Amino acid sequence: MQPRDRVLRTRRALAAAIAARTLMWSTAATLSVAALMTVVGRASGLVGDGATWAVALISGAIALVASVGAWRRLTLQRVALWIEERAPALQFALVTAVDPDVAASPIAGQLAQRIAGISWNAEARRAIWRALVRPLTAASLAVALLLAARRVPLSAAPPDAAGVSATTASPRDVPAPFTRMRATVRPPAYAGGGEVTIESPASIAALAGSSVTLRAPGANTGVSADLGGRPLAVERSGEGWRVALTMGARPEVIRLRHALGERLVALEPRADSAPVVRLTLPARDTVLRVAAGVIPLTADVQDDLGLVSGAFEYIVSSGEGESFRFRSGTLGARQFGGARERARAGMLSGALRLDALELKPGDIVHLRAVARDANTVSGPGVGSSETRVVRIARASEYDSVAVEGAPPPEADKSLISQRMLIILTEALERRRPRLSRETLVSESRAIGRDQTRLRKRVGDIIFSRLGDDPTGEHAHGPDEEPHEEPAPTTPDSARRDSLRRAAVRAGQPVSAAADSADSARAALLRAADAATRGGDEILDFEGDETPVVAINRPLLEAYNAMWEASRELEQGEPARALPPMRRALDAIQRARQAERIYLRGRAPAVVVDLARVRLTGKETGTDATRSPRAPADPAAARRAERLAAAMTLAGSDPAAAVDSLVMLRVESLDVAPGFAAALGSAIDALRERRDASALLARVRRAAEGSLRVGTGLGAWSGVW
Amino acid sequence: MSEFVFATAQYESGDWDSAPLVPANLIDSVARYTKLRVAPTGVIVSLASEDVFRFPLLFLTGHLPVRFTEAERTNVKRYADRGGMLFVDDHNHDIDGAFHKTAVEELARTVGPLAQLPNTHTLYSSFFRFPDGPPNTSHELNGWGDNLVHTHLLAAMRGDRIAVLYSNKDYSSEWGYHPDNKRFLSVDNTKFGVNVIVYALTR
Repeated sequence: MQPRDRVLRTRRALAAAIAARTLMWSTAATLSVAALMTVVGRASGLVGDGATWAVALISGAIALVASVGAWRRLTLQRVALWIEERAPALQFALVTAVDPDVAASPIAGQLAQRIAGISWNAEARRAIWRALVRPLTAASLAVALLLAARRVPLSAAPPDAAGVSATTASPRDVPAPFTRMRATVRPPAYAGGGEVTIESPASIAALAGSSVTLRAPGANTGVSADLGGRPLAVERSGEGWRVALTMGARPEVIRLRHALGERLVALEPRADSAPVVRLTLPARDTVLRVAAGVIPLTADVQDDLGLVSGAFEYIVSSGEGESFRFRSGTLGARQFGGARERARAGMLSGALRLDALELKPGDIVHLRAVARDANTVSGPGVGSSETRVVRIARASEYDSVAVEGAPPPEADKSLISQRMLIILTEALERRRPRLSRETLVSESRAIGRDQTRLRKRVGDIIFSRLGDDPTGEHAHGPDEEPHEEPAPTTPDSARRDSLRRAAVRAGQPVSAAADSADSARAALLRAADAATRGGDEILDFEGDETPVVAINRPLLEAYNAMWEASRELEQGEPARALPPMRRALDAIQRARQAERIYLRGRAPAVVVDLARVRLTGKETGTDATRSPRAPADPAAARRAERLAAAMTLAGSDPAAAVDSLVMLRVESLDVAPGFAAALGSAIDALRERRDASALLARVRRAAEGSLRVGTGLGAWSGVW
Repeated sequence: MSEFVFATAQYESGDWDSAPLVPANLIDSVARYTKLRVAPTGVIVSLASEDVFRFPLLFLTGHLPVRFTEAERTNVKRYADRGGMLFVDDHNHDIDGAFHKTAVEELARTVGPLAQLPNTHTLYSSFFRFPDGPPNTSHELNGWGDNLVHTHLLAAMRGDRIAVLYSNKDYSSEWGYHPDNKRFLSVDNTKFGVNVIVYALTR
């Protein structure tokens, strides 16, 4: 065989090794990422199998592309060099022999003879094997990792969420027939959890509907069991006996009896929560003028075990007065797959086509999202979102209801904001030592002009409420463009009156605030001036004061402060301009955060003349406040009494005291969970022969916490 | 002793103010037939506010679907547990109507399922005697709405106490007139309202 052919054979072996290595690295990457995603998915419930394998396959593809680059290096020359490296006896004869120029020369024969006596197969095999060991190990580890990720129970994964926790009893506290007892708990099928075995259980907490089997070795002769007073069958099972039951909805105690003693096992059922549904779109109630278009609907749904389905429900109410008609339906229904699919979170989406509903003015659409879980034991649990209302306005309320569907007007981007002006002024002030006076004044005036434009915009907002002309401000200062003030054509006397009162408040003579909108604006300006120059004094604009001033007060403050800032900037004094600029910004922020109140209709108040009804003459009556009646809780008092009795018993018969406390805890789990939790810790301490004084004191505080002592019977009536 | 104040429950989802004259009419009747101290005008109280706990009886009515907000749901449950009585009347008087379906669903979710109240219950003898159970309304007898005469009211109990009383009988329409017009009736049809109030104040 010629040297070239031998090199080609080695190259094929290397190519196969590269392919194998590439596949193994890719497999390792795919399975590792899948294992990681599986763990994340099981812990959070947010990643499904589809997403897991999509991400894993992408990772594998990336690894494939990264590894496959070795193919490009597999030229004949490189392979020959690779062989020379592992077979030094060749002394570069092989590299020379495969050179195309040498192959045709006379020395090719000599080289072939020299190479023919040297074999590199063993070295090549060893090198190839070494190259494959690491990817093979990685792929094997990834397989193991994935298997572990899919099988090992996680704390937040459904098997555990549906799963089981327990406390155990010390063998020395347990009568002989029950010493080696163990419990097997299997959550209901819909929860998808695995079977759990608990050695020597004292209490078992598991999902309602779980199968519980207690097993113990030995004969069942003389062993009896009951659950909350109801007898349970004690059956033979292999070398021992067993008691099987289903976890109910309420906490109960299994009482196992034998001539040598008895044993209690508390059952603490965990309820499967109903899905939590949050309607995200539409975000709020809406009034529309025209019943046209499409309203997008979205909702987030979550469940502790697994969702089955979800949908949007709507009810259309038509009519008024005493005559109403209703239509209902569902939209955007979606199946999630249930607990086995472990879809514990999801999203609903849909679209409400108003045209299709053929809505009339006055019609109301009530919308909500609903989701159901996989609970087949006590469910299905149904969760629903808040309800949103979409109403079509009647023609009679066009003037009183905001029915414009348009978005808010876009902000005027041609203006520099007050915050930006402050930043520019501060920057100018910092540069001041390095600037000539002329430059400083020039730049300061440029900022001043922007400040003036912003002030005029604020003025427009304030004065637009005064009349048709939104530009209520006169031109002031040399850099402002004066404009004609149109004469008011239909002055509103009521508005003038209120403005006149504002002027009076500001200390101006009434005559100054007189008969035209122009003078009214002047009065308003003076009122604003008084409002903002009063130092810390808070002016009261309530009562009979003009609402224009009251509503716009923060903006008026901003307006005045901006005016002051403009003046300082005009004079080339940025440092002196900054305080009023910041006051203006604060005022704008206050105006922005002001509370908006939307009034709703109120029912007419009818006052009954009680004296006339009772024919007793006038009686003024007295108003009296009252406090809510303290909740009477005799159950808590009974709990406290039983606790005291058990604590007394603890001195003489600790085992009996523990049993009493267990019974008390089981009965309190539903109605007083805090008390039950405190009691659980105390029971554990008593069982373990630890000092339980502090824990019992805590239990007593928990028992007494809900007790209140009143001075007498509360009255059930009162006035505001 | 403080006086009784009639409170109308205001809820977010529907027309809670559909029977504005009922409070005055029942206040008039309480003043007319009993010696209870009663405020001359009712109040409106938001179901979502803590103020509900100031009143022993809340009156809730409307025509439109009832969907409590989370705050309303929490308050209604606490109110029922703490001794209050919520009187819900279907102003729509329609057995398959939106108010009935949604209100019953919402109440069942909030305070537990509603069951028929026996017509021998002390509610029907707490002041006036109603041996046949809840008095019928003219709307029922005229066949309006669901065309049924409802023989029972529904209730959710707390022990032996009515925590939520639910009516399909449309007392909101039956009692929705100005109290001055009571003199035109041969028999005052608001007497059962007095029973409800007296029951709420004494149990």
